[in-house]
Amino acid sequence: MTSAGAFIKAIESGSKHLIFKRFTFRYPEQKLKFVGDGYQFDPKRGVGIAGYRGRHILFHDKCTGCQLCAIACEGIAEAIGMVKVDEQWKHNKKAIMPQIDFGKCVFCGLCVDACPFYALFMTNDYELSAFTKEHLIYTPGQLAIKPKYQGDVEIVIDDMGATHG
Amino acid sequence: MATYPQNFRFGEFVGSLIWLIFWILVIVTLVGLPLIFIILFYVPLPPVGGQVLTPYLFLTMVVDPSRTMPIIQHLMTTDLFRVAMFPGFTYAALIAAVTIFVERKFLAKMQLRVGPLYAGKIEGILQLIADGLKLIAKEIIIPSGADKPMFWAAPIMFVATAAAVVALIPAAPGYVVADVDVGLLAVFAILGFFPLIALLFSWASNSKYPFIGGLRALHQMIAFEIPFILSALSVVILSGTLNLTGIVESQIQSYWFIFFLPISAFVFYISSLAELERIPFDLPEAESEIVAGWLTETSGMIYGLLQLGSYVKTYALAALFVVLFLGGWAGPMVFPPQVQTPLINIAPLYDQQAANGTLWFTLKTFGVIMLMLLPRGISPRIRIDILLHTGWYKMIVLSFINIFVALALIYGNILGPGGLLVR
Amino acid sequence: MTSLEDKFEESKKLGLQIVRESEEDRLMTLSVGPQHPGSGHFRFTIKVDGDYIVYCDPDPGYVHRGEEKMCEYRNVIQNIPHLERPVIHDSSNITYSYSLAIEELAGIEVPRRGQYIRALASELNRQVYTLYWLAIYGIFLGHSTMFMWPTGDRELFIDLLEALTGARVTHAFNIPGGVRNDIPDGFKERCLRQMRYFQKRLKEYEDIFYNMPLFRQRTEGVAVLSKEDAVKLGVAGSVVRASGVPYDIRKAEPYDIYNEIDFKVQYMKTGDCFARSYVPFLDMQESCHIIEQLLDKMPQSGEVRAKLQPNPKGPPGETYRRVESGRGALGYYIVSDGTPKPYRVKISVGSFRNMLALPYLLVGQKLADMPAVYWSLNYWPVEADR
Repeated sequence: MTSAGAFIKAIESGSKHLIFKRFTFRYPEQKLKFVGDGYQFDPKRGVGIAGYRGRHILFHDKCTGCQLCAIACEGIAEAIGMVKVDEQWKHNKKAIMPQIDFGKCVFCGLCVDACPFYALFMTNDYELSAFTKEHLIYTPGQLAIKPKYQGDVEIVIDDMGATHG
Repeated sequence: MATYPQNFRFGEFVGSLIWLIFWILVIVTLVGLPLIFIILFYVPLPPVGGQVLTPYLFLTMVVDPSRTMPIIQHLMTTDLFRVAMFPGFTYAALIAAVTIFVERKFLAKMQLRVGPLYAGKIEGILQLIADGLKLIAKEIIIPSGADKPMFWAAPIMFVATAAAVVALIPAAPGYVVADVDVGLLAVFAILGFFPLIALLFSWASNSKYPFIGGLRALHQMIAFEIPFILSALSVVILSGTLNLTGIVESQIQSYWFIFFLPISAFVFYISSLAELERIPFDLPEAESEIVAGWLTETSGMIYGLLQLGSYVKTYALAALFVVLFLGGWAGPMVFPPQVQTPLINIAPLYDQQAANGTLWFTLKTFGVIMLMLLPRGISPRIRIDILLHTGWYKMIVLSFINIFVALALIYGNILGPGGLLVR
Repeated sequence: MTSLEDKFEESKKLGLQIVRESEEDRLMTLSVGPQHPGSGHFRFTIKVDGDYIVYCDPDPGYVHRGEEKMCEYRNVIQNIPHLERPVIHDSSNITYSYSLAIEELAGIEVPRRGQYIRALASELNRQVYTLYWLAIYGIFLGHSTMFMWPTGDRELFIDLLEALTGARVTHAFNIPGGVRNDIPDGFKERCLRQMRYFQKRLKEYEDIFYNMPLFRQRTEGVAVLSKEDAVKLGVAGSVVRASGVPYDIRKAEPYDIYNEIDFKVQYMKTGDCFARSYVPFLDMQESCHIIEQLLDKMPQSGEVRAKLQPNPKGPPGETYRRVESGRGALGYYIVSDGTPKPYRVKISVGSFRNMLALPYLLVGQKLADMPAVYWSLNYWPVEADR
């Protein structure tokens, strides 16, 4: 009977997978590797540089407080607000810098596209969970810290199947 | 959701420890001591090694391990041991628990993923305990208008019926809870009780989706009981007795029945998958069509008991398959006749035949259980009209073929008393 | 055999509203609502007579969020992140059509390399969406392995899209004028290697799912939608291709660079549930060939994005552009009045048109066929509600 043959083929296909390697990886002990340092935008050429869109990073020595990122986000998620900072910079006379509320941010990166001074980029960090909503609002000082992200697995394909290794 | 972790205060910790010790002392004094006195004065105690076994003698024997042997040897021959430990409830529950965990890991490997990982340090071994604790802690919600006595009684009846089937199956020579002369018939009589429980519980749930699920369970289990009995009938013809221990003895004397009756074994396997509501036959519990079938309104420990009963039933039917077709506890002898252990001498407890039988029985039952888990990874759910067509037409016809083969073997004097293949 | 229209007229006599049943009522009303494992975020009410469905009443609107109205308050670029949310798994297709419409209104010219990268993201996203649809189809029929394998293989493409666009699912990659960034280094080799592996996996799907006798018995001959009825009801995408009409917008009205790519339109003639579940599988195989050609023919260097003014706007006018997404034709009708914010945006989705076939197809089927028929119509509830 052809249907008996089809059943046996299905059983054989399923049992073959018992010897393949697993495709998923064990998350807290192994983390995914990313190529590059995060999404960046080059305002002179008008095009972005490919990278992962994680948490933002703010370079205090470039930000002039022009509010273009806040204006861009007003129509999208209203996650950026400008706050006064204690630092004195020559290029930032009003002494205001963006603070980002990651409870509202959708990580679209259009604020990075809006910044004309190479001051706001995005990094590879995505582990941002906190216990309260207030802890999710990152001040400009917190945004300046470069995250330490250690990724160790990526997709590897060999003749025994694909796996993360 | 965010809960604040409370600060740790050492004084509160010490206070809670003292509270715990206080309650332990109260319970031991108010309950434990009177219990000991009641046992001393009112319960007839068995004599062990020439002396009456009082609790004081028991405690002194426990202190000196070499004198505990007579107690344990006496205990192993009682009925209580057979019901509670082996081959009774503890053994069945252990195999059921291991089955649940192995099933999840086995399916995960077939589906190229990891399975339970986080509970317990090694590969999620404590996942079952975590699930059990979660189910105990959940609130049991009973729908308004539901039939309360039936709602509470059904899961208990389910587990009790599954345990009753376990009680009839021999696991090693001399170790069976109920040695009934019509063992196989009793198994089928008890199995006929399950569709009734499903239907009554689904009606008591007072809801539409459980009603549909209960009707499907009824149709499915009744449709497959007849091929079940007919395929077992061929085994009875070959062995000449309905007693399950007798069936195993007759397989020891000739060869395993699966070589003579492969089609019957296949029909028995498919029918047991249908009885257990396993994929591909899990229509009464079809998640995407009727939300959870007759289990929809269960929550908390009622659900936990139903799952436990379902897996104990899996062990029972797999053990029945091994007893009927794969030779029960038969296997080459791998245990030495005497054994010497350095510290504690367990020689009086050691029974070579029983140990060997237990080992082979457990291995074979596990193999059959893995075979029952395999279709879960391979096939989709079947539809009710295809199921009824298969159960009433194809399975009955197939099982008749092997009845004729069995009759031919008996009348041709190949098997049976004085036959050619009997050793 | 009565036609579909006669069957529906008969069932309408049973009453159009859902009333409380009385004791003598032979029919049972089941609400396959949002809190049902077999329905997604969508509600439809069915009346059953024993095991046969006699009446079906779909009730969309559970996830309506006013996407079209929100477009009127945001400028053209700020519309992209929220417009990709209706069907987030297919996000590079739903913003593709929007970008094409805005470019036509504002008169923006997209560079060729940008067009190729846009088509590449669209094809990869089509694979992702179809694999997700296939996974849910497997679990609706009770096949848990068919849920896990496509979800795992989908990871191959999500990995590629994450390297290309920067996010796994919420791409926000197409904007009016092109794409937001160029492809990273090493992308082409990675893409080709993972696609070869994926084509080997498609054979396994056939063994364990499509050739499985139980699956075939459940779906062959069930809920047949004939060619005339399909055209009359106006269904879209893989549903109309499974009923014998070889219509694919990439061939019928080619947009961007699709007239330079060589591929066949896959269709089947039977129109039953099996055909509707097999056509997306054939589409996936065809997509693999398209991706290989795109990677070959892409110009080696060039701009990927046209330079825009800060608030792009065009002269007052209206336009309608369509794109072939995972579910069928996805069209945008945009009216502009000369300001940077659009005056009216209307999204025309394939899911809503496919839903129209559901009451016709479910009448007369068994209750167990309900998830198989419902999901084979390639229906995405969030997109239909917008």
